[in-house]
Amino acid sequence: MEPSDEALCERVGRRDEAAFDLLVSRYQERAYRLAWSILRNAEDARDISQEAFIRLYETAGSFRGKSKFSTWFYRVLVNLCLDHKRKHKWWKLLVRDDEDRSDTILDRQPAPVNDPVDKLSREETLKALGSAVDRLAPRQRAAVLLRVQEDMATYDIAQVLKCSEATVRVHLHRALATLKKTVEKH
Amino acid sequence: MARHPDTDLVPYLRGELPPAERERVARHLEECPDCKQDTELLRDLLGNLSHAIGQPPAVSWARYRAELREKLEARRAQVRWWRRPMPLAVSASLAAALLLVAVWGGRELSKSPDSLGPDEVVIGRELGLLQEFRTVERLDLLEDLEVISNLDRLASERQG
Repeated sequence: MEPSDEALCERVGRRDEAAFDLLVSRYQERAYRLAWSILRNAEDARDISQEAFIRLYETAGSFRGKSKFSTWFYRVLVNLCLDHKRKHKWWKLLVRDDEDRSDTILDRQPAPVNDPVDKLSREETLKALGSAVDRLAPRQRAAVLLRVQEDMATYDIAQVLKCSEATVRVHLHRALATLKKTVEKH
Repeated sequence: MARHPDTDLVPYLRGELPPAERERVARHLEECPDCKQDTELLRDLLGNLSHAIGQPPAVSWARYRAELREKLEARRAQVRWWRRPMPLAVSASLAAALLLVAVWGGRELSKSPDSLGPDEVVIGRELGLLQEFRTVERLDLLEDLEVISNLDRLASERQG
């Protein structure tokens, strides 16, 4: 039987290198994807997600198992991402080349649509929606990404963002109301 | 009609509301066409969002893990540098310097003008005894400074 994330984390706390490698393998894709979704820069996403793993290695001993490992780890990761965004905000105002938009919206849109007009319209809508997500307030954006990408429950999102479930519901409601307006414009 | 369950709609769609709340929202949606329409829009929106957010550029995971190992090693080396034991000569020199500072500092402190002189030490020792004297205990009777300062003049006037 595969060891649970929590059991592996406990072993990492005792400096078990194999357990650390296994946890990294389990979470590397999710960590990188979530970091990229928040930061929108591949290099930053790689650095920050790796930093989250280093923090995991350094602080695994303090994991008490009160929450799920995934929640605990995502909290570290999301905090690092939000800190990074806050620190680099002034720079991004000057140089706006941090967005990884090299992939076309067609590459990112797997749903096949036969009608070319519908296809174009859908492509534009998704593009506008993606940009609208980027413009959301950081915590609203994090809540949406955790909900949509990681399929996390409100309770878990609240644990990651260290706020109440009611606050998460408000974040999601406001974020989705903003995004809905974007869709309605198209 | 009850208030619109705006903030409950996302948890409702995910099926994470407790049964009573779920029932309340479902009943509301049957009665409120606006909320029902909103819920459908939300469902579509949540479905489209994962496509809209997209996927990050591909990564070589072997290289990712190798980089991570390098960074972890670098961090450990940093920690080791701070925690490494000092050579005996350096430790002894530091200890001697600290001792010197402590002794010299102590002497300087003892020379400070705020330190007590021998008389004050004696008075301090006798303080308990002084507290027994009635005069000292009734110092409030001597508070009229004008009378005290004019005592000599008053005495000479009486004599004259």
